[in-house]
Formats: sequence, structure tokens, C-alpha cells
Amino acid sequence: MTTPLVEIDLSLDLAAFELRVKTQLASGVTAVMGPSGAGKTSLLEAIAGLRRRTRGRLAIGGEALLDQARGIALPPERRRVGYVPQDAGLFPHLSVLDNVRFGARADATAVEAAIDTLEIRPLVGRVPRSLSGGERQRVALARALATRPRLLLLDEPLAALDPGLRERILPWLLRVRDAWALPCLYVTHNVGEALAVASHLVVLQDGRVEAEGEPRSLLSAPAVVGEAEAGIENLLPGRVVAHDTAGGITRVRTNTGSDVSITLAVDRPVGAAVTLAVRSEDVLVCAALVEGLSARNVYPARVAALERTGPDVVVRGVLENGGGELLARVTPAAVAALDLAPERKVWLAMKSHSIRIV
Amino acid sequence: MSAEELRIVLFTVEMAALATALILVPGVAAAFLLARYRGPGKGALDTALSLPLVLPPTVVGFFLLELLGRNRPVGGWLAERGIEIVFTWKAVVLATAVMAFPLLVRSARTAFEEVDPRLVGLARTLGAGPVAAFFRVALPLAWRGVLAGVVLAFSRALGEFGATILVAGNIPGRTQTLALAIFHDVQIGRDDRAVGLAAVTVGLAFVALWTTEWIVRRRVRRDEQ
Repeated sequence: MTTPLVEIDLSLDLAAFELRVKTQLASGVTAVMGPSGAGKTSLLEAIAGLRRRTRGRLAIGGEALLDQARGIALPPERRRVGYVPQDAGLFPHLSVLDNVRFGARADATAVEAAIDTLEIRPLVGRVPRSLSGGERQRVALARALATRPRLLLLDEPLAALDPGLRERILPWLLRVRDAWALPCLYVTHNVGEALAVASHLVVLQDGRVEAEGEPRSLLSAPAVVGEAEAGIENLLPGRVVAHDTAGGITRVRTNTGSDVSITLAVDRPVGAAVTLAVRSEDVLVCAALVEGLSARNVYPARVAALERTGPDVVVRGVLENGGGELLARVTPAAVAALDLAPERKVWLAMKSHSIRIV
Repeated sequence: MSAEELRIVLFTVEMAALATALILVPGVAAAFLLARYRGPGKGALDTALSLPLVLPPTVVGFFLLELLGRNRPVGGWLAERGIEIVFTWKAVVLATAVMAFPLLVRSARTAFEEVDPRLVGLARTLGAGPVAAFFRVALPLAWRGVLAGVVLAFSRALGEFGATILVAGNIPGRTQTLALAIFHDVQIGRDDRAVGLAAVTVGLAFVALWTTEWIVRRRVRRDEQ
């Protein structure tokens, strides 16, 4: 992390618990993950100045927006914090252009730059109702950028979009991140998104910071991610080895030396670095090697540990020959039926279709 | 229509317009604040503001008389400064305004309640102060309900009778509105003129409501294009 730009030390009483978040943000994207109701949206609203009962301190670049001890509490219109809510929140009675230049601080240069960054010029004459979900998000993002914010708050900008569309919006977010060099808080439920955009990750649970740090290392710790409701993901960095067009598969060699077959991904050239993600519930645990299984990826492994996570058990399997680790989420009944215990030899299987490139 | 009848019609429209103008700003402000307010006493406040809707108008008129009569505290204070209200056109405006106020507030409040409060908050994060956020987001999104409330209030003011007759009396040429004139005509058996005035009253109310419908429909069509 570079010098902290944003200092957050806030508390706010919510219906079920007290939100209490203390952290620092550098420039770049900080992902905020956590179960529904963990206080993620409330945190963004508190930072934007929309929760009047927020206590504590909030400063950007050393300037206090909220400092209870010194009696400072800037209203939202003086904070210069851009907020994009989950549903975009466009003003339905205004055209796209009027939405983008709504901000009182918005000068023509910033409006133009925001329109160009998000490539929404063809949309400026339209009304929000006629836009697709992805277009709305881009307009909302442009509207926030046009006010030249010092901090950007994004609340699940991709959640309302179908998966195909997500991949088409993500590049815009990356472009905003890189071109506007803003610190940004990015609420998401999706591990792939967090890995793609964030350089820092904060996991919220019942209003508290449960864990924070570098996303990749944090997201492979089951205790953390299990509670983050993201689904425990197995993340397998590697390189594309070959495409088998007839067989419909692409072969990836992970950095730990295991070969993984995934569904054909010809857009990734041979030799390209990729990170594969498999949800832990999509990893099968077999007590013996099963013949004739449709799953393309079967690995002999040793059970290193069993960890209880909520109602489930996470099996931590170490692949033979130093092939790395895989996490498999199973029910306690399966643990009993397969007689799973540390040091037990098992086979771990993954269907090609359950593996995604993130 | 005789000159006398025309004068009554114009006087009535003028009084209703003045009453509507008088309650426009406080009514819309009260509607917006009631729609946003979540604190203690909300229910009691809502109820108190709606009371004139259900109370007999004569009760409202009686209270106004008690307040504004020359030998009452407020009325006395005003009288000392040369301001007479009771039994003047000002009493007509005041009585009709008080009776019309809850209609405006109820209609506008419902419209403001349908505006997503997060949009107002977003306007704030984009640099608009509370007043700008109201005029640029809340009001444009609620204008149909607000306009409907204004027209309802105006129509109610046109036809107000019970409160007006108590505070303003029924003085031909000074405080006599259509509703009061019709009452007077029937009492003295001048039914033919009452029929004419009643017809005019119906016509006025019809035009007011129909114009609103027309404006709203035209605006909606334009929005959809």
C-alpha cells in the first residue's frame, strides 16, 4: 500500500448491530466484501454523508470530512465523494446528458472527459428509462466522475447485470480506475470482480472489519471467504498450454504443475497467464478412484485438514507430487460416509464447466 | 348572466385563487417535510393536519372566529393595527385557505412519498444543497401529485361554505361567494338564480379538474416520446 489517502474511522448504529469500521485506503480500488446485511451499503452511505448519525472521523488527503472531536461534519454536497448505488440511481426526469452534468461542481471539461471515458456520447439524448442495465451503470459512473470526486464509492455496480454483460462492463471500471487515479471503495459479492479490480480487500461481518489485506491471499483463506459469503473459491494461477477445438477444451498448467482442462477458451492465446476459479462446492471428493467419470480433472490428494464452516465442512486437500491445494466444501454427512479424516487419501474431481477464468 | 351574478363569480374565483396562492408554499413544504419526517409525533402531526377534512366546517369557522374576533387576542392585536379580518374578504380567503390546506398537503405528500429518497441523497452527493435537491429532483418527480393537490385545493376553495359563513358572514357585495349566494337565494325563494349560480359552480369545478387532467396527460405523452 502506498501513502493512505483516505482515513476511515467510523461508527454508526444500525438496526441489528453497530457498524464500526477503521481502515485506510490508498489510491486504487479497495474491494469490500461480506454477507448481505454486513453493513456494506451503510458504510458507503456513511462515507458519502447520507447517514447523519455517523460518528468518528473521515479524512481524504488529510482534510477532515467528518471529525466528531473537532465538530466537523461536512454535508454530502461539500464532500466531493462520488457515489454510484447498486441500481445506478439515475434521475428519471432528466436526459442522460442532464444526469451527467447534474453536479453543481461539474465543469464542462470534466463532463466531456467522463462522457468520453465511459463512451456514452451516443446515449446523451436518451432518457434513463430507455437504457439497458449496463448503459445505466456507465451513465451513473460518468455522472459521479463529472463532479471530479476525490473518492469513488461503487455499490455492486455489476450485481444487477447478467454475467455476459458483466464482462463487458468490467473494462470500463478498469479504465476509470487507471485513467482517473481515484481511491475507490468497491462493494461486491463476486470474487472474480474483486480479484480483477482490487488491490486491497476489506471483509465486513456484522459491521466489523473481519479481515483485510491483499485480495489474492485473503480470498484463498476459507475462514475469511466462507464468512464473506462469496463461496470459497479455489484460485489456480497458471498458463494456457493448448487448445483442443475438437474436444472443446483448453488445457491450463497451473503454477504448481497440475494440468487442468477447462471449457474451450480460444480468446486466451497459448502461453497466456490466467487465473482459474472453482467454487469449493464444485469440487468432488471421492474415497476411491472412480472409473468412467465425466469430470476431466481428477487428482489424487491427501486430506490436510477438515474445517467446519457454517453448516458445511471444508476439506483442504493437498495434491500429490506438490500439485498445490484444493478446497472442497462437503456436508458433515459426506464426511461421515467417506470416513474423511486428516491424512486420508482421496481423489478430488472438477468438471471442466465448473471452472472459470477470472 | 347579470352583472351582479358575474361579479359574484369573479369574486369567488379571485378568493379561491388567493387562498390557493396563500397555502401553496407552506402546503408543499409541509407535504415534503411530512413525507420525509420519521421522528416522534409523526402520527399526531399527520392527523392534526388532516383534521379540517373531517371536522364540520362550522367548527373550523368557529375556531377562526374565536381567534380573530375583534375582542380576541389575535384579532384584538390586529385590530389595534387597523387590520380587520372578520366579515371582510380577508376572512373569506383565510377560511377557504384553512379548509383547502389539508387537501393540498395530502395529495402532495403522497407524491413526495413516492419519490425515492435515495435520489434526493444522490443529488446531494453530486453537489446540490438541500434546497437545490428539492427543486431539481424531489419537486420535478412529484409535480403531478403536487399539481393535483393544488387543483383540489382550488376547487375546494371555490365551494367552501361552512367556515366562510361563520368568519366572513354572507354580505352581498363584500363577502358573498357563489356557495353563499346560492344558500341566500334558496332561503329567500329565488330558486331560478340559484340554479344558474349552481350551474356556474359545476362548470368552474369541471374546468379546473379537466384542465389538470389535460396538462398531466399531455406531459406524460411528451415524456414517453
